[in-house]
Amino acid sequence: MSDQNIAFESPATKLQQILGGNLTSGMLTFGLVVVLCVLPLFVGGSWMFSLGICFANSIGVLAVSTLVRYGGEVSIGHGFFAAIGAYSVAVLDTRYGLSILVSLPLALTLGVASGVLFAWPSRKLSGIYLAVSTMALALAVPEMINNADGLTGGYEGLYVSQPAIAGIKMSFQRYYAALIVLIAVVYALARLRQSRQGLTLLLSKAHPAAADAFGTRKDWARIVVMGISGGIAALCGAMLGFAGSTVSPSGFTLWASIFLLVGSVVSFYGLTLVRALVGGAFLTLIPQFLSASGAWIPVLYGLALLGVILFGHYLPRIKDRIAERKGGLT
Amino acid sequence: MNVAVKALKGEEISLSFGGIKVLQGLDVEFRAGEITGLIGPNGAGKTSLFNCLTGAYSPQSGSITYAGDVLDGLSPAARATKGIVRSFQHVALSPDLTVLENVMVGVARNFHAGWVHAFLPTLRARNEQAAMRASAMDALQELGLAKVADKFPTELPPGMQRLVEIARAIVGKPDVLLLDEPAAGLNNSETRDLMRSLKNLAATDLVMVVVEHDMDLVMSICDRIYVLNFGEIVACGSPQQVRNNDDVVRIYLGSDDD
Ligand SMILES: Nc1ncnc2c1ncn2[C@@H]1O[C@H](COP(=O)(O)OP(=O)(O)O)[C@@H](O)[C@H]1O
Ligand SMILES: [Mg+2]
Repeated sequence: MSDQNIAFESPATKLQQILGGNLTSGMLTFGLVVVLCVLPLFVGGSWMFSLGICFANSIGVLAVSTLVRYGGEVSIGHGFFAAIGAYSVAVLDTRYGLSILVSLPLALTLGVASGVLFAWPSRKLSGIYLAVSTMALALAVPEMINNADGLTGGYEGLYVSQPAIAGIKMSFQRYYAALIVLIAVVYALARLRQSRQGLTLLLSKAHPAAADAFGTRKDWARIVVMGISGGIAALCGAMLGFAGSTVSPSGFTLWASIFLLVGSVVSFYGLTLVRALVGGAFLTLIPQFLSASGAWIPVLYGLALLGVILFGHYLPRIKDRIAERKGGLT
Repeated sequence: MNVAVKALKGEEISLSFGGIKVLQGLDVEFRAGEITGLIGPNGAGKTSLFNCLTGAYSPQSGSITYAGDVLDGLSPAARATKGIVRSFQHVALSPDLTVLENVMVGVARNFHAGWVHAFLPTLRARNEQAAMRASAMDALQELGLAKVADKFPTELPPGMQRLVEIARAIVGKPDVLLLDEPAAGLNNSETRDLMRSLKNLAATDLVMVVVEHDMDLVMSICDRIYVLNFGEIVACGSPQQVRNNDDVVRIYLGSDDD
């Protein structure tokens, strides 16, 4: 199992080493944040709307990548946790008139709780068995939502309209709220990587027996990682609801879960802002770019996917070549 | 006042896998203040005994105690929090963590900042990380690894990886330190440095057990030596006694063909 983890980690790790002279990547991220903050001054409403959703999806991509990075596991069911977040926001909004300032913490709490609840019975499963059991969650979502239509509005869904801060244009709020939550998640994950807990989780992923011998039980590690990942996915759902202004079961089908995984893969499970945005773009922006091409959309999308994955795979080698050539010159 | 020496004791430990008897009713006593050697041919059961002592394996019968506390049934994690720590024969470092971070894991059990501090840049989080970093750096320094603190384990030769493994074991100030072939893969000068470090580490309240094939190392640093063969103790005593034991000579001349 650990060999397999290392195998599907290595392109990402290499990539990180290449992209991440810490100072430069820090500056790159800072620059990107500045650009994203001022972007609404230059782009139109429909772009802002799409970007808001892209940010929300980027959070979902981070949720899956966190599971891969810290747990060495793959999920095709994160739409479930996203749905919990989305409906926390939508239900509190429509039924109780509460804004995301209240519902976001609730979404996070419920997401963590359901991650932990799912992790407990499945804590001994790994690899394809765990992935398929997460799929069971995803499959159940639309039906559960439809059945609880008294609360969820059934297949017609709910409209999210409460502003977070009264008086500011909703289109700005949708954009900035999603951006702020995305940045906060990236930041919190960067802290986690430095923390005691983060270090022990990473050892547990590679060598559970060694981590156990130093005080970190394998089951605990799995449950914790699922809790964190579920919490982040719920934040994704919450922001999808807020930035997208509607929440309905069609947004949380098995496909939604699969695409979160796809986004995570094309970002090489990266936990940085740039990587998350690459993943989020694959869920949101690329389909839009391709939407003019009609029947060819799936084919072009597939090609784009393949292109990015191959590019990421060969990038370290390309960089090596370039470095060699430079080394030869000096 | 009872000044009995603290010791890690195993009584009548038997372990088998399927029909294969790996440990056959072992009695061992590893005393604090001593370095105990555990030697024997490959497959004798040395690593398996460590696994029983740390809780990774549950022996079918027998009992393990430390300083009078019964450890039977406790998980490895629970034993770790009691200060019983080991290094692994097959290096088990995380490839995602730097050398320094890998060693920091060894001291993690002594820190307790909660989850809030894992995600937010609180003062407590910063202090905790700094303290872990400082301890880890000390341990690396002790083993001459300070230079490679920021490298990843895969960038190091196997001998150095093993030293990192040992640094991780010693960093948390354990009460019981079980080292599984610490000198495997080390060159002569590295082995000498390691011997010096282990001697420095020996303390009146530390139980140290070393599984090792390097006889010079075992003979020169150990106070007592157990010799294991086919899951049984064939000899126990001072290096001198063990060296002169006929059974030991036969085992080592007879079966150790590498
Ligand atoms: N988990 C296990 N499953 C089956 N057999 C095992 C297991 N662990 C150890 N053994 C067997 O126990 C015997 C002793 O192994 P080990 O303790 O590793 O010996 P040593 O460390 O002295 O070389 C070997 O025959 C080995 O195959
Ligand atoms: Mg062994």
